[in-house]
Amino acid sequence: MEVISLKDVTQRYKKVNILENVNLSIDQGDMVGVIGQSGSGKTTLLNLITGFIQPTNGEVIYYSKIHHEERSLTKNLNKIKKHMGFTPQHNSFYPKLTVMENLLHFGRLYDLDKNTLKDNIKNLLEFTQLSHHKTKLAEHLSGGMQKRLDISCSLVHKPKILVLDEPTADLDPILQKEILHLLQEVNDQGITVVFASHHLESIEKICNKVVIINDGRVHSCGSLDDVRAPFLKDHFRIKLPKGANKEHIIERLRGLPIKNIIQDRNGLIITPNHMEQTMTQLMEIIKDEGLQLNDLHFKKASLNEVFEKIVGGEE
Amino acid sequence: MQSLLLITKKNVKLLLRAKGSALVIIFAPLLLILLLGLAYSTGTQLGLHLGIHAPTFSDDVNSFIKLLEDDGYTISTFETSIDPCIEEIKQGKIHSCIILPASLQVEGNTQKEVKFYVDPSRVNLVWAVQQAVESKFNFKSQEISESLTNNIFATLTSAKSGIATQKTSILDIKEKGNGVASSNEEVQKTLKSLDLEAPVTNPKTANITGDVANIKDKIGDARGAISSSPTMDPIEKEEIGDLLSNAESELNGAGIKELQAELQATKEKFSLIASAVRTSSTKLDKSTERIQNTIKALDEVEIGLTNIIEKLDAQKVTDSDVISAPLVSTIEQVGAQASFLNYLFPAILVLVIMFSSLLLGTTLVMMEKNSPAFLRNFFLPISKGTFIAATYLTTLIMISIEVIIILAISLFFLDEILTTLPSVALVLVITASVFAFLGMGVGYIFISEETGVLGSISLGSLFLFLSGILLPLEGLPLWLREMNQFNPFVIAEKLVREIFIFSTPLVDVLPELSVILGYAILLFLLIWFLETLVHKHLVHRFMKNHHRAHRQKDKQNKNDA
Repeated sequence: MEVISLKDVTQRYKKVNILENVNLSIDQGDMVGVIGQSGSGKTTLLNLITGFIQPTNGEVIYYSKIHHEERSLTKNLNKIKKHMGFTPQHNSFYPKLTVMENLLHFGRLYDLDKNTLKDNIKNLLEFTQLSHHKTKLAEHLSGGMQKRLDISCSLVHKPKILVLDEPTADLDPILQKEILHLLQEVNDQGITVVFASHHLESIEKICNKVVIINDGRVHSCGSLDDVRAPFLKDHFRIKLPKGANKEHIIERLRGLPIKNIIQDRNGLIITPNHMEQTMTQLMEIIKDEGLQLNDLHFKKASLNEVFEKIVGGEE
Repeated sequence: MQSLLLITKKNVKLLLRAKGSALVIIFAPLLLILLLGLAYSTGTQLGLHLGIHAPTFSDDVNSFIKLLEDDGYTISTFETSIDPCIEEIKQGKIHSCIILPASLQVEGNTQKEVKFYVDPSRVNLVWAVQQAVESKFNFKSQEISESLTNNIFATLTSAKSGIATQKTSILDIKEKGNGVASSNEEVQKTLKSLDLEAPVTNPKTANITGDVANIKDKIGDARGAISSSPTMDPIEKEEIGDLLSNAESELNGAGIKELQAELQATKEKFSLIASAVRTSSTKLDKSTERIQNTIKALDEVEIGLTNIIEKLDAQKVTDSDVISAPLVSTIEQVGAQASFLNYLFPAILVLVIMFSSLLLGTTLVMMEKNSPAFLRNFFLPISKGTFIAATYLTTLIMISIEVIIILAISLFFLDEILTTLPSVALVLVITASVFAFLGMGVGYIFISEETGVLGSISLGSLFLFLSGILLPLEGLPLWLREMNQFNPFVIAEKLVREIFIFSTPLVDVLPELSVILGYAILLFLLIWFLETLVHKHLVHRFMKNHHRAHRQKDKQNKNDA
């Protein structure tokens, strides 16, 4: 079920498109990783989702679960804010307040009743392992704890969507893992999590959906497999001998569960639906037709590789 | 040394490149000096508004009023009483009230009194008002003094001329007197020359008188004895009597003739004397005539002198004090006598409120703006109004604490504050609101806390310098003075002064109160607008950064290509 979607959204500044024609949908319970180079438009995308900026063109739509209707984010911003949590790149709490005071302050501003807020904070403190530090001034917490507090502040009102802008930036690898683990746990509680990060390996591990932004455009959006699909190396390259009946061979191959057959100068590139399942049948045809297997790729491209290829202009 | 210069150079660069600080540090003092320079570079008189009351507005009173008007003072006249004028002083509409006598002309040895009413709470202005008005007043007094002196001199000149005339008469009298004296001397000489000695040539004549007298006595005795004798015969008595008579005749015989001759000589002498006396008498008659003329002349001199005395008596102003200072001034203070603290208290109170509110407003906004939590606030379902109201409320609470402390301390010195406390508190709350909103506005405009605070201080200083606390507002050019009436500090100070010093009820200061309340509302709306701008500014900055990143990327791509 969709929670947020962006329809033909363009964000322009001084005649330059920061984001162009973005179409994107996020489902409830999704764990979405937004990746892209610095200045590619990741933060702009997140800010459009949170309503901090309004699109030049297009519309950001929020789906109301209660009313079962689409609502424009811009027009219903104050109502939607109650269901959304945002954690900016840099810590966003009051350093001179204690952990508890920060949570209470932000919680009360979301108009929660006392008991609910108390329960929320108690659970949050346990969940983020800040219970023992609740009386400490925020500025006295370590970097990792500060980030956890920051996320807690965004979760104190139990939002349906949590948006984070590079939550692992400036953190050491251990803290990065810790935070990503925390986000996964948040997501496990049914909260939709959208975050931008350069930590691609982690995104690959924890996200079910990835949005790749390149040069102001959403290059890819979807599940990891969908994003990786154009860059899959699980294909065969078969060399056709001179005088071979190409059409006959292609006809036979089409009988197999394959996605795509591409002809090139030296032969055919075959991309099966499922490598392991198709392998035996394909080998039989190669043997029957006296063909030569030139190249066989099993390896799935990593998100990092996919990203590098996209940024490098290769597809 | 080189390091020192390098660091200094770096500091200057950083200062100038931070637009806000450059603006505030360099341009704010320049702007302040420029504004104050423009404000006070006037050679005109203090633009004072004076109220004048006199029992009758005679010509010389009107001429005094004109004298003041010619010097650029605005004059309002109060014919019935001075009280309405005093009320206007309390309201700050009039700077000084003057009670003039019906006439400024001095007619006796009593000085004319002119009474000034001034507002002692306007400490810096009261002396300026006194000085300015008194200089005009002294000018008038000098004018009258000159007129009195001229009158005296005219009288003296006239007396001098009269005395000169009388001097001629006196000389004439003197001459006549001399004539009388010389005539008298002649008479004296004549009289002295008279021979008043009896001509005693015969020695017998010298004794005859004695002898005759003795004989006559004895004859007398004999007649007495005869006449008294009882025994003597009357015939005998007669005979004896005849005998005695014969004796007496004998006595009168020769001697007597000699005596007569001598008497003749004496008679002749007396005849000469009589002639001399007659001559002298004639001369004395002439002298008498001269003396009578002299008396007549003296009468004229007397009349002349009487005239002079009358003229001198006509000069009624003879007291040197009155001549030198015919008009005296007394200065009355409007409102009850109080200490300087009373008079300064409203200004001090508003000053503290102004700077505290400005700085608190700025600091709170800056703290919030520069707080890491600032961005999060945009994602809270809270309206802008709530944030503005919260900052305002915080300022108000802090200011209230300050005011409570100040008032509590002041109670030790100023007991009377208790009665006016509610009204003063209301005015202070509205004043604090105005300056808090202004401070918040400054906070929204500037980027760094330091420049914001400097901006607030500069703004406060500008209000202070143009408030009349340090320099009288009346010294400003008219257009600026009129504009400055809308200075919130001026309005607030005036309100507190009227309520605190003159116990003016709130109803009477409602127009000023409405103005300052209007400011508060307008500024709230302005802050609302600025808060919106801040969001837009943040978005703009965010987009600008992205724009820069894009351009850098484009540039890099071109270079790569």
